Amino acid sequence: MSTINFAAREINCKIVYYGPGMSGKTTNLKHVFSKVPGHLRGEMVSLATEDERTLFFDFLPLDLGSVQGFKTRFHLYTVPGQVFYNASRKLILRGVDGIVFVADSAPNRLRANAESMRNLRENLQEHGIDVRDVPIVLQINKRDLPDALPTSMIRAVIDPKQELQVFEAMSDKGVGVFETLKTVSRLVLERLSQNK
Amino acid sequence: MIEPTLALYGDAFERVDQHIQELLETTGVRYGLLVDRKGFVLSHKEALWAPRPPALDSVATLVASNAAATAALANMLGERTFSEQIHQGENGTLYVESVGTDSLLTLIFDASVPLGKVKVYAKKTIAQIAAILDELKDLPPVQLNDDFSQGAASLLDDLLG
Repeated sequence: MSTINFAAREINCKIVYYGPGMSGKTTNLKHVFSKVPGHLRGEMVSLATEDERTLFFDFLPLDLGSVQGFKTRFHLYTVPGQVFYNASRKLILRGVDGIVFVADSAPNRLRANAESMRNLRENLQEHGIDVRDVPIVLQINKRDLPDALPTSMIRAVIDPKQELQVFEAMSDKGVGVFETLKTVSRLVLERLSQNK
Repeated sequence: MIEPTLALYGDAFERVDQHIQELLETTGVRYGLLVDRKGFVLSHKEALWAPRPPALDSVATLVASNAAATAALANMLGERTFSEQIHQGENGTLYVESVGTDSLLTLIFDASVPLGKVKVYAKKTIAQIAAILDELKDLPPVQLNDDFSQGAASLLDDLLG
């Protein structure tokens, strides 16, 4: 649904980081926060539990700059990954323009990866959105784990038809973080120009 | 189909801006924001005498997310909506009220401003803004071309390497 925006010639896009608990969604945003110059980003807001698990969301606004007279901005959100926070995830997906799915490479998280992708499809559907209509990028995180699963095995349960662009990442070191964000942002912007 | 939030501007923006400005002048509210339900600031006004405002992006996204959570609660409890929220602290008040289904009027004011007065005038302003938003529903969307996405992609490269 299009939202009326009275800010003078401003385009705002919402990108949501989705994935199982502890896969590295918040770490992605923290890295972006630490690396993007202060005048090009806003404050990072984190709503977390006492043990630093995301409770509702993390939020980080980015200013891209002016393009053809339009001030263009991205709002980055993470969602809580734990199963019992599904109500929060549904709310944060409202008005989403692009999604980064952050998968966990640990062997014992393979099922959680699959469940989270299924949950994403279900929650999008409740908003009347087909998962194929949203730009989605797959980030396979924690590639530095000694027992990390092969990316092909992870992809087999998350993206069996290989429809998504994939990036390997180590978000705690910043590896793959910007590449992922840049790609999903480009996909969102391209969709804007297609006027769908 | 997802559509990104696009700017609509000109006369309608000016009129909404003016209504919020008048509300601030009449009531003594420090900050007035119109926030969409995705968490973006649509319009904001600050009283001339007010100190530096809080980070508007953060206020807007928290207000919208709070409203979304509250709407979910209303639904669970069999209510159509909980349209109004008031948070009173020692020094001031945050007041949020729905404007139709798409936006939220957010007012921040200090303890010297009577809440009742704000509520009375806010409801009038909300009706005025809602009428303007209704007029905009049938307007054609802003069209962008490939030059836009290419220009924006160039800025992405600058920002993210």
